[in-house]
Amino acid sequence: MISLIVNGRPVRVDAAPDKPLLWVLREELGLLGPKYGCGVAQCGACRVLLDGQSVPSCVTPLAEAAGAAVVTVEGLGGPEDGLSALQQAWIDEQVPQCGFCQPGFLIAATALLARTPRPTDAEIDAFIDNVCRCGTYPRIRRAIHRAAAAPGQG
Amino acid sequence: MARLLSRRAALLGGAALGGTVLAAAAAGTGYLAFVDMDGPDPHIDGDRAVLNAFVALHEDGRVVIQAPRTEMGQGIHTGLAMLVAEELDIPFDGRIRVEHPVEQLPVYANAGAPLRTRPEAMRGPLMWAASRALSVLPLMNTAGSTSTMGLWVPMRRAGAAARHMLVAAAAARLGVPAGALTTAEGFVRHPATGRSIAYGALARDATAFAPPPDPALRPASAWRLIGRSQPRLDLPAKVRGEPVFGADVVLPGLLHAAIRQAPVFGAAVARLRNAAAVRARPGILDLAVIDGRGVAVVATSWWAAETAAAQLDIAWTETAADRASSATLAAALQAALGDERAHEHLREGAVEAAFGPGAAPLVKASYTVPFVAHACMEPMNATVLIREDGTAEAWCSSQSPLTMRWGVNRGAGWAGVEPASVACHVTMTGGAFGRRGELDVVAQAAFLAARHRGRPVKLMWSREEDIGRGVFRSHAAARLRAALGPDGLPAAYDALVAAQAVQQSAASRTLPFGQGGSPVGDRFTVEGLEKAYYAFPARRVRSRHVPSHLPVGVWRSNGYSFNTFFTESFIDECALAAGQDPLAYRRALLRASPRHRAVLDRVAAMAGWGRPMAPGRGRGIALEAAYESVVAQVAEVTVAADGEVRVDHVFCAADVGTVVNPDAVAAQMEGGILFGATTAMMSALTLDAGAVVESNFHDFPLQRLANAPGVTVEILPSGLPPGGAGEPGVVPVAAAIANAIHAATGRRLRALPLAVTETIGTRRTRSLLPGHAA
Ligand code: FES
Ligand code: FES
Repeated sequence: MISLIVNGRPVRVDAAPDKPLLWVLREELGLLGPKYGCGVAQCGACRVLLDGQSVPSCVTPLAEAAGAAVVTVEGLGGPEDGLSALQQAWIDEQVPQCGFCQPGFLIAATALLARTPRPTDAEIDAFIDNVCRCGTYPRIRRAIHRAAAAPGQG
Repeated sequence: MARLLSRRAALLGGAALGGTVLAAAAAGTGYLAFVDMDGPDPHIDGDRAVLNAFVALHEDGRVVIQAPRTEMGQGIHTGLAMLVAEELDIPFDGRIRVEHPVEQLPVYANAGAPLRTRPEAMRGPLMWAASRALSVLPLMNTAGSTSTMGLWVPMRRAGAAARHMLVAAAAARLGVPAGALTTAEGFVRHPATGRSIAYGALARDATAFAPPPDPALRPASAWRLIGRSQPRLDLPAKVRGEPVFGADVVLPGLLHAAIRQAPVFGAAVARLRNAAAVRARPGILDLAVIDGRGVAVVATSWWAAETAAAQLDIAWTETAADRASSATLAAALQAALGDERAHEHLREGAVEAAFGPGAAPLVKASYTVPFVAHACMEPMNATVLIREDGTAEAWCSSQSPLTMRWGVNRGAGWAGVEPASVACHVTMTGGAFGRRGELDVVAQAAFLAARHRGRPVKLMWSREEDIGRGVFRSHAAARLRAALGPDGLPAAYDALVAAQAVQQSAASRTLPFGQGGSPVGDRFTVEGLEKAYYAFPARRVRSRHVPSHLPVGVWRSNGYSFNTFFTESFIDECALAAGQDPLAYRRALLRASPRHRAVLDRVAAMAGWGRPMAPGRGRGIALEAAYESVVAQVAEVTVAADGEVRVDHVFCAADVGTVVNPDAVAAQMEGGILFGATTAMMSALTLDAGAVVESNFHDFPLQRLANAPGVTVEILPSGLPPGGAGEPGVVPVAAAIANAIHAATGRRLRALPLAVTETIGTRRTRSLLPGHAA
């Protein structure tokens, strides 16, 4: 049994310690927001916050998350279906196309704004290296700037 | 769901078919017959009042719209819902819910794609009969940028017919003539008395009224929604990370499967050396050879199945292709170009004379592109359940519920099971790009489901299976010639392309019977070669089919994805030979094509064409007409002293006809440009010992935020019916970039990818011009 906190709730998982966190979240905890896109830390579709750091959960063994706080895209919003400022900006800028990569981008952008509340384009480019096959990059950039400028942010 | 076939739908299968054909023929055009309302008669289904095949209402005012096309990121569910809402006269808000229909009805068919015509342009009894045959299948697919084109009229008619029935119900309830009633914002109103009734309260009554045969549609001047950007209905779920994709399907008792397929296409499983050891791993329930060509592992979790599959030690049979390599495939292409037995698609004017001895100055150039993968973000997957009673159900992020159904039947057949029925649930897709019209993964999942009757089985390919074992865009090479007249413009244009035929390859894998016809004269292979809008006095277009052992399939914009790179690079080469500016040269060639010229002029103005640029920077322009739309782009590049090339920005002007949801069209242009720019700069599959070398995003890289160009899009106003938007944006960008590199450096690059990709660290890349790589 490995204990961790997922989206604010303590959970205990009975899974192999080397099972990637991605598959623990998807298969043991029913959190389907983090996606499998490559399995080798290339695409970022599986990104989650691990104690506030954006990590590719496909290569993060469960053991590494023991005792840690994990946040998935499902945990970004506030209570009662509320959206985070980034999620709202994502809708305002109509960012997603297919949407499959977007949970990973939202996690990466959340981590970015936590440490750089008003990032420049160069800081965005330097921090986020997820892949979007649909080509939503221009809108992702706009949405991050919009969220950074939103009231109550930064 | 209980369903009553309407009288007209019943006619399809009956003796009256001949009479209907005659009636359609007598009417001169079959247009109304194509967009009629075949489908269920109005009825009550649970708490839904189903008014027609597209529109159902709940008593609380919720409106459920059946959108018979796959939402793959292009925003089609929103666009189709806007068309219904426009005519139904409801606000575009949270009351609207869009579903992909499960029933496969003739009225949902997409006959326009294979018949290569808009529904409203279908004329005559032959076209009518072909369309009807495709409808009876029914051919439902989301392909060829045809969704808005094909459903632009039917969805509005469905909304208008439903509104008519709601008004009729209100008239009966209020005891006033229907003509005394109006509608607005989801209410029927009686202005004389000020009374109004919400649609929801009328919905049940409305099912008692016959749909009007030919409901009038609003004039464009009265549109409230069409042409005004509406937020995508699917985005709130997508930013919350809700499970909307095939990969997210979870069902009671779900089993998971992973697969390993032959590295060399055509090879079969010769021997499984460690079956017992793999079977003994924890959580493994089954090990199965599928169709001789793959080995699947079934487990209680995908992680368990995939890690077990990674341990499989499979010996594959030898094939004739075991020694094929990129070099041998490229040599075959070049040999085909040198062979004069090409299929002639088009000949206008005295082409050969123009190239005869003593002819005008000639411009000749040869170009090539490699095989590429689709690399949809959501890996290929399908979930299939076959019950003990033989009924089957499938869930898949598919572009076609018809090929899903065929896939289930085929895969079950491999296990000796014939499903009594197949219900197909089309989920949202994490990208598709043509890849998901294939039935491969559905058939494989169905085979496994047939071995585990009563349990749903979800098969998901790893990324490595997707990149290296999938279906590809063909490689291609072309030889272009032009004889320049005294004005420097081509007096004759001659294009020959060699590639592997798409239609036959795809059809041979997909159709339940037959081999898919002849590969000679493949229409996809020559898309973008004709350049009909350029005033060439003489032109010829020819193709050669070059077979290989690789499966090739449709891929976002197909032949345009390479031919427009060839032709629009070539036009720049002609302009250079004539000593003319590439924009002015194209404008002269467009003297009889005002629509194209307007688009070209617009993008030139957007980009500030002609304004001087700093040394090392360059600007390139390209144009194409595709999918009933016209798109022109200007790319700006910077080439550094060390050879690093960056695409800084792409300007795009597009005339896509009437626009339903402008922001969604702009997003498709943006996405198309980034898809095309990645392909132009870095995408290539290489072959060694018959197998694809690349396997994941480290060696089939995609642009990321740091090296993706900025994009500016303008959509031109147009009174034409809607054209396509999903594919045209991809088309000109490769040539625009190549032309910009030439402007920046004087180097003419005639092969894609234009650059060599250098990896920085683990994930990032930069692009270097050929000859500069370390
Ligand atoms: S799935 Fe983890 S980075 Fe791609
Ligand atoms: S929105 Fe489709 S991969 Fe990013």
